[in-house]
Amino acid sequence: MGGKVKKLPKVTQFYRNEDQFSPGVAFCSGCTLELNLRFISRVLGKDAVFVGTPSCSAPVLNGANTGAWHKHAHYACTMTGVASSATGLTRAYQKAGKEATVVCYTGDGCAMDVGFQPLSGAAERNEKLIYICYDNEGYMNTGIQRSSATPLGAETSSTQVGSRARGKTTGSKHMAMIMAMHDIPYVATATLSHLDDYAKKLIKARELAKTGFVYLHVFTPCNVGWKTPTDASIEVCRTAVRTNYFPLWEAEHGEFRITYKVRNPKPVSDLTSLLGKFRHLDDGQIAALQNQVDKRFKIVQSLCGTSALPH
Amino acid sequence: MVAVNLEHRPRRVLTGNAAAAYAVRLCRPDVVSLYPITPQTEVIEQLEKFYADGSLDCEMVTVEGENSAQNVVCGASMAGSRVFTATSSWGLAFMYDAMLQTAGYRAPVVMVNVNREPPGIQSVCSGQQDMIATRDSGWIQVIAESVQEILDLTIMAYRLAEDYEVQLPVMVNYDGYYLSFLAESIEIPTQTDVDAFLGVLKQQPQRPVLEPGCERGVGAHGLGAGFVELRRKHMAAMERSKQKFDAIDTDFGESCGRHYYGQIETYRTDDADIVLVTSGSAAGTARTVIDAKRQAGIKAGLVKIRMYRPFPKERLALALKGKKAIGVLDRSVAFGWDCGPMHQETSALAAKIGCMPILGFIDGLANMDITKPHIERMVDDIQNAALGNDFREVTWVASGE
Repeated sequence: MGGKVKKLPKVTQFYRNEDQFSPGVAFCSGCTLELNLRFISRVLGKDAVFVGTPSCSAPVLNGANTGAWHKHAHYACTMTGVASSATGLTRAYQKAGKEATVVCYTGDGCAMDVGFQPLSGAAERNEKLIYICYDNEGYMNTGIQRSSATPLGAETSSTQVGSRARGKTTGSKHMAMIMAMHDIPYVATATLSHLDDYAKKLIKARELAKTGFVYLHVFTPCNVGWKTPTDASIEVCRTAVRTNYFPLWEAEHGEFRITYKVRNPKPVSDLTSLLGKFRHLDDGQIAALQNQVDKRFKIVQSLCGTSALPH
Repeated sequence: MVAVNLEHRPRRVLTGNAAAAYAVRLCRPDVVSLYPITPQTEVIEQLEKFYADGSLDCEMVTVEGENSAQNVVCGASMAGSRVFTATSSWGLAFMYDAMLQTAGYRAPVVMVNVNREPPGIQSVCSGQQDMIATRDSGWIQVIAESVQEILDLTIMAYRLAEDYEVQLPVMVNYDGYYLSFLAESIEIPTQTDVDAFLGVLKQQPQRPVLEPGCERGVGAHGLGAGFVELRRKHMAAMERSKQKFDAIDTDFGESCGRHYYGQIETYRTDDADIVLVTSGSAAGTARTVIDAKRQAGIKAGLVKIRMYRPFPKERLALALKGKKAIGVLDRSVAFGWDCGPMHQETSALAAKIGCMPILGFIDGLANMDITKPHIERMVDDIQNAALGNDFREVTWVASGE
């Protein structure tokens, strides 16, 4: 005794089990998906059944690399079939009287584009499951194409920058808000620089999914697609929160609440300057992006009213 | 159809769609997913009625589209549920990616597909092109001729799909309009009959099930050799399903009072010189014409294809071998082959059945009635070819050719 005891980070108090994922899983170095997935697994528990699709997470969830895998029950399906396959699973367990936490884990392309209809349908039916969208703002697995999550001005391989075009010409869908308008028990945003906040939301998600549909929108930077150093991911997450580019909020049974209040929000240029995909932006484009950030935050703020918690 | 022991079972006048729903209720599914489409909608309305009155105890998922309908039942099936869904035509097309997955996962899904012309040329009318468009999806496809057969075949489909040696999805097809809305007096097996008939499945080894905490996955990425092995096993299961279907059909006769001769029904083919091959509701009309032609001294016979995937090539070859001429009536087309798909596939049996004229007839597209005069003309054409006269390889009957 008497040796120096390393203090565990506070967030470990939320862990229910050992890491269910083996070392050496097939994510790019610095990818936030790995932390995200391991974290979800430890907070939700090892009984969680993951439903995924061809995507960045597929090689790990669905096992292209069988040498480095995980111990969760998992189900792979088409990009159009995530929320509906999960419906099938959760209904089967309900009929058989089995307790289950069924978790859809997909990127923004699946949640917001090609798999949006089944997601909206499952939410409207109030299926008892958790849908987690890891938002890396594009189709990263196929080589960085734009999705409806790609922000205004961003450069992708399908919104390129040249003498004629200057990145994406439209903004992203305000997806978490769209899901909140489905009147489901729980919607929240989260990111990996604020793990306490994220863990509490996952725990709520687990409980509220027993009563109906839960949607979590998680900001997960992609080093390769966003052109950032592999050690910058968490800083990018934090900056996204501090600029109100990605505010942290939740809506529980229609009660909106900002869960992490930013006292003096930084300009969005603090974020865009970190990301290679915004390198070409001119002042006009940055102003347009700032305008969209402000408008969206105003909507969130007005819904949260006075219930916003202090920092 | 051969019927025995009719006394104790109730009779009711039901439409084809209602008959499918009655069959599903008797099979006690755990999860049912439903989305409306003409001419299938009555199936889901009837099932919703059963659900509302408490006589169908299942998880009812009224989805927002057919693609979801298929994914719901595939997922539920992999979690151990008995499942049902129904669709038609455009809906079948919309669930195509999910259907491929259901087949690849060997999920024993039972689905009714009410045959209707698919999109392209706008159409709300009968035709088998929808099922033909999915013939290589890895599903078992069976076809009913009458309202009674819709009910019986749907029950048999569960025995076939869930058989441990098969484990494949089964699509029960019947002609939209001609059968979906046709009301006939049919006999309904008792719950005890069906429980006993399907109870056989409980004595078989059980499929692995995806459960919370089971450290097991559905749909790992297929790597080279593993993928090939799964494909081969799928093919082998398809082949096994042919004899299984024959045996299940016989067993159904013993349990529930009727049987239908399995993969194909042969009618007056043993001593026939010429044979007409067809499927679905057209077979009834054809049987009447064959009888009349026999009276007129033409030795004609009929083969009704009940199982289209896998294709009943062995039994079909046996029925057609050595005949003087054969005709095949298709209710759809095989693009790129300039003929009907059943004609195309029957022609592929030439090495097994010998060299004879094989005539194709395309009729009954888009609710164009396949009438008795149409079939009489087909039989005459086949007979002429049998006599050595010149013949047209493919005839579009309704076009007045």
